[in-house]
Amino acid sequence: MNPKDLLSQLTRLEHTLNDFSYEELTAAEASRLKKSFQAFRIRLENKIFTPSNSYSEADTDLQEEQTADNSKEKDTQPPGVDKLVAKVSHEIRTPLNGIIGFTDLLKEDKLTKKQLERVNAIQTASYTLMEIINELLEYSKLSAGLEQFESVDFNLHSLVDNVMYLCNTLVTDKHIELITTIDDDISKGLVGDPSKLSQILLNLVGNAVKFVERGSIKLSITLKKQIGDQLYLEFTIADTGIGISENNLEHIFDSYKQAEYDTQAKYGGTGLGLSIVKQIIDNLGGDISVSSKLGEGTTFRFMLPFTKGSIENIVKPSTANSITAEALEAVKGMYILVFEDNTINQRLIVQRLNSWNCKSYVTDNALYGLNLLETNQIDLVLMDLKMPNRNGFEVTQLIRNSKIESVRQIPIIAVSADFSYQDRENCKLNKINDFILKPFSPDELLTKLVKNKNSMKKTLKYESQAINPKATVYSDATKINLSLILEDCLGQMDLLEELILLYKQNALEFIGVVKLNLNNEDLDEIAFAAHKIKSGLAMMQSKSLHTIAEQMQKLCKTNGDRKHLNFLYNCFVEEYPLVEKAIDEQIKALKQS
Amino acid sequence: MNKKRLLLAEDDELLASLLNFRLQKGGYEVQLSRDGREVKKHLAEHTPDLIISDIMMPYFSGIELIDYVRKELNLSTPIIIISSAGNEENVLNAFELGANDFISKPVSPSELIVRVERELKKI
Repeated sequence: MNPKDLLSQLTRLEHTLNDFSYEELTAAEASRLKKSFQAFRIRLENKIFTPSNSYSEADTDLQEEQTADNSKEKDTQPPGVDKLVAKVSHEIRTPLNGIIGFTDLLKEDKLTKKQLERVNAIQTASYTLMEIINELLEYSKLSAGLEQFESVDFNLHSLVDNVMYLCNTLVTDKHIELITTIDDDISKGLVGDPSKLSQILLNLVGNAVKFVERGSIKLSITLKKQIGDQLYLEFTIADTGIGISENNLEHIFDSYKQAEYDTQAKYGGTGLGLSIVKQIIDNLGGDISVSSKLGEGTTFRFMLPFTKGSIENIVKPSTANSITAEALEAVKGMYILVFEDNTINQRLIVQRLNSWNCKSYVTDNALYGLNLLETNQIDLVLMDLKMPNRNGFEVTQLIRNSKIESVRQIPIIAVSADFSYQDRENCKLNKINDFILKPFSPDELLTKLVKNKNSMKKTLKYESQAINPKATVYSDATKINLSLILEDCLGQMDLLEELILLYKQNALEFIGVVKLNLNNEDLDEIAFAAHKIKSGLAMMQSKSLHTIAEQMQKLCKTNGDRKHLNFLYNCFVEEYPLVEKAIDEQIKALKQS
Repeated sequence: MNKKRLLLAEDDELLASLLNFRLQKGGYEVQLSRDGREVKKHLAEHTPDLIISDIMMPYFSGIELIDYVRKELNLSTPIIIISSAGNEENVLNAFELGANDFISKPVSPSELIVRVERELKKI
C-alpha cells in the first residue's frame, strides 16, 4: 500500500470538505465537519507518516515491498508489519466511519441540490478511502495466513443473483449488459465459503464494469468435473472492455501492479484487488487465469472446488417470491439501522433498502449505533454477528440494556453467514427476534422485514422515573393545542403538517447535536443549538421543552455544572416523545374533525 | 397597486415558514433571509418597504442590522424587531438604534400583520 495514495485520497476528501463554505452550511455544521476531519488527519499523519515515529520504519518496508514485483519478497518483510497494518487500519476506519455516519445524518436534513452534491462527494471519497483500507487489511491478513475460511451450506443461485444485483447498481449510465448463465447440472445447494466467493465475483465483475464502456459482461458457471460429492466449478467472466496488453497481463496478479500508472489514476483502487482474488482462490484450492486482447476484451477464468450440499440445510422462507406490492407497501418508510463492517455488504444492503423506500443508517461502531438508536426514530435493526471490534451479541446486549424502553424493545434481526446451534441459542438468550443467513436474496430480507415490523411495538413509552422530582421541569405535553396554530395557518392542514415535520426534525437534530457536544464538551455549540431550537418550541407551545432548552442555554453560557446539563438533556430526551405523541394524536383528531 | 416588499430576517425555519406564508397571504411580497449575510445581500439588491428581523441571528444580529440600515445605508425603512421573551434590554437597545416596533416570541402572525400594516400606513 502506498502511503501516498492514502494521503492523496485524504487531500481530496479535505478539499471537498473545504468546499463547504459557511454560506451553504450553517456555521455549526461546517465547523463540526471540518474539525472532526482535521483532527482525524492530524492523528493519522502523526501515527503513520511522521519520520520520527516508530511506525515509519514499517512504512518504508511497505513501500519497498510494493516496488518488488516478486511475491517471494513478501516472506522477507519483517514480522509485525501485518499487525501494524491491522492496527493502522483500525485507527483509520473508526473515525472514517464517523465521517460517513455524519454525512448520512447531514443528508437527512433538507439540503439544497448543491449541498447534496457536496455531501455525496464527501461520501464517495470516504467510501473510496474505506475500500482502500479494507483491501489493505484483507491483503495483510491473507499474506499473514490469518484469514479464516468457512465451510457452510449456501445457495449458489441466490449468491450469484446478489452479486449481479450489486454490479448492476455500479453500471449506472453506461451501456453494458450483464449476462449470467449457470449450468443446469450444478446443484443449487453447495458447501463452501459463500462470502469469499461473493468477494471474488464482485471483484472480477466489478472490475469489468470499471473497464467496459459499452458491450457486455458475461458470467458463466459450468461444472468442470465431479468426483463423488466434490464439485469442481469453472467461473468465466468475459467482458468487451479495453483489454490488457501482453506486457501487463504477465504481472496482473502481482500486488500493486495495476496495468499502467495512468489506468490507476483513471480508475482508482490500490491495485491489490486482483492479488487478493488470487490469494483467496489459492487458499481455497483453486486456480485462476486470464486472457486478453487490447481493444477486444478480457476473460478471467477460475476454478474452485465445492462440496455438494443440500438446499434444505439453508434457512429459506417458504414462499418462492415474496416481493409483493403489499410487502413493499409495508416496509415503505421504515427506518433501519444496519450493523455491518464489510463495506461491500453495507452498500449491497443499503442499495436494497433504498430501493424499497426504506431509510437506512449503517455503522460497525457499537456506540455510534446506540447513539443513533437513542436519538432517532428507528424501526428495526439488522445485526451482523461477526464484526471486528464488538460482535453482534455484545452490541445487542448494549441495545437491550439501553435506558430508553423503545430502544430496548426494538426488533433485531441477526445476520450471519452461518448459524451454529450455539448461535441460535445465543440469539434467543440475547432476545434477538429473528435471524437471516448470508448471502440472502432480496425476497428473504423483505419477508423478514415485514414479519418483524408487525411484531413492533407501536407506542413509544419512555420511562419517567429518571426525572429528578426536585427539578422544575414537568410534562405539559397534554396542554399542546394545535388548533390555535392551525388557525395561524389559516386552516391549511398541509402547512401545519409541514411545520410539524420541521419541528420534529429540529428536535431530533437538537438531541443529536447536544449528545455529540456533551461528549466533546463543547458548551458553545450546545448553547447555540439550544438558542436555535427555542423559537420553534415556543411556537409549538412546548413549554416544558422550551424551559429545558432555555436552562441549558443559560447553563452553557455560565459554564455551568456538567451533571446538571446532562440531567437537562435527559429530561429533554424523555419529555420529547410525550410531546411528539401528543402532537401526532392531535393531528389525527384535527384531521378527523 | 404594486405589492409592498418585505424583508423577513429569521433563522428559525419553523417560524420563518409560518410568517412567510401568512405575509404572502396578506398580499405582501416577502424576501426571506436566514442570516445576517443574506440580509446584507438582499439589502444591496433591493430596498424593501419594511424590514422584519429577529434579534438573534447568525453572523449579524438584529441589533447590528438596525445600525447597518440606519447608519451605513442611511435608510428610514420601518423595522419591526422579533424578540425572544425575557430579552427586554435588547428591545430597548433596538429602539434606541431606530427600530420602529417589536413583537415577542411566540409570534402571533395575525398580530404581526397588524403591526406591519400600521407601520406601512405611517409612511
